[in-house]
Amino acid sequence: MSPARGGQIVASIRAEPRSFNRLVARDQSTDLLTFLTQGRLVRINRASFDLEPWLAERWESSADGRVHTLHLRPGVTWSDGMPFTSADVLFSVQAVFDRRAQSVLASSLAAGGQPIRAAAPDAQTVVITFPVPSGPGLRLLDQLPILPKHKLQGALAAGTFASAWNAATPPAEIVGTGPFVVREYQPGQRVVLDRNPRYWRRAPDGAALPYLDRIVLEIVPEQNAELLRLQSGGTDLSSSELRPEDYAPVKQAEEQGRLRLVELGVGPDADAFWFCLKPEVKGKDPRFVFVQRPEFRAAISHAVDREAFAHTVFLGAAVPVWGPVTPGNTQWFWPDVPRYAYDEARARDLLAGLGLEDRDHNGVVEDARGTEARFTVITQRGIGWYERGTAVLRESLARVGIAIDVAPLEFGAMIQRMLACDYDAMYYRPVFTDLDPAGNLDFWLTSGSAHVWNLEQRVPATEWERRIDTLMLEQAATIDPERRHEQFNLVQRIAGENLPVLYFAAPRLYYGHSVRLRGVVPSVLRPPVLWNADSLSVAPGE
Amino acid sequence: MSSFLARRLLFALALVVVVSSSALLLARLAPGDVTAELGPFAGAAEIAGTRARFDLDRNPASQWVVWMARAARFEFGDSFLYNRPVRGLVLRAAANTAVLALAALALATLVGIPLGIVAGSRQGTGAAVIRAASLVCLSVPPLLTSLLLVFVAATTRWFPLGGMTSVAAVGPSGPAWLADVAVHLPLPVLALALPIAATFERLQAQAITDALRQPFALAAVARGLSARDVVLRHAWRVSLRPLCGVYGLAVGALLSGSFVVEFVTAWPGLGRLTYEALRARDIYLVAGCAAMGGVFLALGSLVGDLLLLAADPRLREAARARSGERQTA
Amino acid sequence: MRRAGQGLLALVVLGAAAAPWLAPNPPDRTFPAALYAPPTPVRLRHAGLRAPFIYPQRVVSALERRFEEDATRPVPLQWFRDGRLVTVPDAGGGPLLLLGADSLGRDTFSRLLYGARTSLVLAAASTLLALLVGALIGGIAGYAGGVADETLSRLTDFVLVLPAMYVALALRAVMPLVLPPATVFALLTAIFALLGWPVVARGVRAIVASEREREYVVAGRALGATPSRLLARYLLPAAGGYLAVQATLLLPAFILAEATLSYVGLGFPATVPTWGTMLQEAANVSLLGGAPWVLAPAAAIFVVVLAVNLVVQGTGRAPVQLEP
Repeated sequence: MSPARGGQIVASIRAEPRSFNRLVARDQSTDLLTFLTQGRLVRINRASFDLEPWLAERWESSADGRVHTLHLRPGVTWSDGMPFTSADVLFSVQAVFDRRAQSVLASSLAAGGQPIRAAAPDAQTVVITFPVPSGPGLRLLDQLPILPKHKLQGALAAGTFASAWNAATPPAEIVGTGPFVVREYQPGQRVVLDRNPRYWRRAPDGAALPYLDRIVLEIVPEQNAELLRLQSGGTDLSSSELRPEDYAPVKQAEEQGRLRLVELGVGPDADAFWFCLKPEVKGKDPRFVFVQRPEFRAAISHAVDREAFAHTVFLGAAVPVWGPVTPGNTQWFWPDVPRYAYDEARARDLLAGLGLEDRDHNGVVEDARGTEARFTVITQRGIGWYERGTAVLRESLARVGIAIDVAPLEFGAMIQRMLACDYDAMYYRPVFTDLDPAGNLDFWLTSGSAHVWNLEQRVPATEWERRIDTLMLEQAATIDPERRHEQFNLVQRIAGENLPVLYFAAPRLYYGHSVRLRGVVPSVLRPPVLWNADSLSVAPGE
Repeated sequence: MSSFLARRLLFALALVVVVSSSALLLARLAPGDVTAELGPFAGAAEIAGTRARFDLDRNPASQWVVWMARAARFEFGDSFLYNRPVRGLVLRAAANTAVLALAALALATLVGIPLGIVAGSRQGTGAAVIRAASLVCLSVPPLLTSLLLVFVAATTRWFPLGGMTSVAAVGPSGPAWLADVAVHLPLPVLALALPIAATFERLQAQAITDALRQPFALAAVARGLSARDVVLRHAWRVSLRPLCGVYGLAVGALLSGSFVVEFVTAWPGLGRLTYEALRARDIYLVAGCAAMGGVFLALGSLVGDLLLLAADPRLREAARARSGERQTA
Repeated sequence: MRRAGQGLLALVVLGAAAAPWLAPNPPDRTFPAALYAPPTPVRLRHAGLRAPFIYPQRVVSALERRFEEDATRPVPLQWFRDGRLVTVPDAGGGPLLLLGADSLGRDTFSRLLYGARTSLVLAAASTLLALLVGALIGGIAGYAGGVADETLSRLTDFVLVLPAMYVALALRAVMPLVLPPATVFALLTAIFALLGWPVVARGVRAIVASEREREYVVAGRALGATPSRLLARYLLPAAGGYLAVQATLLLPAFILAEATLSYVGLGFPATVPTWGTMLQEAANVSLLGGAPWVLAPAAAIFVVVLAVNLVVQGTGRAPVQLEP
């Protein structure tokens, strides 16, 4: 039976969108609205991670992987009826790299540090040229929403692009090629989106998409209230996956036939624990002598029982991990990454090898000069699994003689300390921007802004970091997928041997939605369900 | 009277300036700034641009001067979170909170004062039940009241779980819109009004009991007036005075917005806006919200004073005499 | 009514004082197999009547919060062992969780008892300090009059409207990252006192100002009594009744304020149980239907505030709820 046309669904979001323009804001609500209202040239399918044609229906790539010729889908129009052409694509690329626009996408759409270029031989063709060969290639373009030139070129020319599409903009001005159009925005309350009758995409059976007439995004700032609304039938979807502690009530609601509980899969990001290893800041700290040794971090890795960790921190809904790439990232996960079995004796041996022993019998090990292995761990305040994670770490490490004090901080204060290396150690889940490692160079490269344990180094501080730099730059510029995997597996091995960041468990994610919702294709990436909004429908008669 | 008002207004203005300035400076001095909202790994250029946009590249003192100069022209800067001028945001949130506050105040007054009169002038089971209910309402933490109400609403579906209007609502005006808002009011209004109604009830009961013990009340009973007349005509008027001061405090507190209630019931008001601004270190929004809160607090204490003047002729005389003194001096 | 209030208060204070003896488990002991565990029912019947016992509990699924009792193996409660009133050792089928366990598998009942110590002592100390400062400033303003009165009264007004949250944030900013519990205690006491004194000062000022014109004070002054002596001997005692009522108002307000302040990072570390930090976990209302015992800390706060209000009620004064 084919899905029914019509009906509306209500989803909750936790914060207002900061803009309707994804080029200038990267918050979750803006991202979601962009999924609903805008199109891109090519799309990464959030469930299979495959590259799909979208506004470009086919393309050819040059042998060196630098030049891609994309043929735009004919007959696509903007929601206000204007034809969609290659000029819009050129405009969007230009806007990303316009200095005054300060686009948040500028760095992720560059290859080898230089912007990509776009040219348009005719109205239906776009040629994208990468400055250097690029491993991810066209996959990068999934991040770039194509914006309407006829609506925004004035703002870009006037230097007001950053504030052009805000809450005060009349909804009719916000046109797109996505399945829905903004009908109304009531600040502090909701965004109402209507079906875009000019949407180009059709279902396999030829039915016009989207099926739904309307999507309402209700702003519910409090997560407990959000869950309550879902449970009571006030909303069909929530903004994010369930917290582990919310599983039980949703499961109960499913048994009563009120909600449906879906397993999204293992999350692509794991909780991480690392020490600040910046020699310029920590060099004089007497503890740095042993903290900088990989053996010290290996001892910590051995000291943590990952099964028990997954059980306590995620109530069992997690799998043990030993590296940043989790089994949730099916394309790049490497099962042979070095593993550290739970072995407290081995941990104590490693510490003793560094001269760390409990000389004064106070339960904390110290080196020959009497420096205790005692650290303050910062983490974000008010998040259940961070609290549990740090508590389990404290108990695990205490058993091998490493003492940690936990300091939960407000998000802003935590980030400030992190950037200034004003902390001993940190427990947090840094979210990778991309599943493809070449999209996360800011994490892997020593010069990167997300190289968390030693940010933005001028020269690599260690030999192994230098090797990762070389390998990652090669990997990002390699076209052959198999070769890219070999290079990245080697990077994972080096990281696993030197342990700049320790990983313990990756959560298994669950999501709850109303029983009347049809066509759900769950994804571990956000938005978990609405990425596929044009194919969602509601059961008829409800 | 007018000079009394003028002095109060001047003090209120000073209060607003001091409160918003200290909010601005304290928010500036607290650790972290709004650039954390850009995400942990934002680029350096983006961070520098954002700092410049919110004058975070100036030192706190010169930022304050710039802000004051703009504020004097009723320009309060932009909000980072909402990408819009603070003024419109704060005014709309304040209006939403005012709807809530006035409804809660009306409910608390209409429920609390009559019950207080009953409980204060009678004895027996009825009065005891009222007293017990008030004590319970006074003893529940506000967070819990609102969460429990949301929970009750979720299980019974008697009223909407939160928000101010429902999806189908059209345009922010007209009777249909008002009706829609009215449907959404019970939950947050109950959460806000219950403890205040209980406070009013207890104060009123106490004041009536005291008033009934005074000679004039005894004399009225001796003259043969009915108990009902004594309570309503004589005792009640005398008992109003202690209520007036608390009334002003309640007005101020309600109008500046309860963060807990607005957050839990998703009411788009001033309390929630203030909290969000503080959390994100959205500095000009913080200052704007504090200024609005200051206005409301000052307004509340003004209302309290005016009520006190209206209720007590002696004070009215004193105020007149005092302002006369100043003028001649 | 007053009796009932006093009785309740006495019970709570006794419970707090005897916490190490009454608590079946150490407050920071985590039981990994008991995350979100429900209360262990204490039973009397197993093949006929017998001494109080429990069935050992086993976790079936932590995620679904399902637990199973082994109804074939009654485990008797052990009285007066290891310095505790009643407990069940882990090895022998424990733990005994009278009010269930929290998200880390810690015994809620034991934490409630220990939490009462911190929460109640903190509230009491803050109340005393607020009364002291308020009485002093109000007393001086009321007695001196003139410029001093004007200055102190304006200062009082200003502090009254000072946004408490910002003060807390700014204070936290200048403190080191990890504070020992004793420092947190002192800091919170100072903040509460700072927030509490203006209300006290206002009332005391009014009372002292009217009292100083009375004959006995005028006479005292004529006889050469110093102002400080007059204040201490005659004027402040006149405000005694008022101060007593204020004390009963501030105490419950401060218990609740501890919960509010831990939101902005001014609370105790997670290892120290307090009612305020425990209350935060109760905020997950979706648990409410299936696990009403998470509300235990809220119930404890409710009982104390109710008891205080009952006592005030008995004295014939009307209670008022203060915003924390």
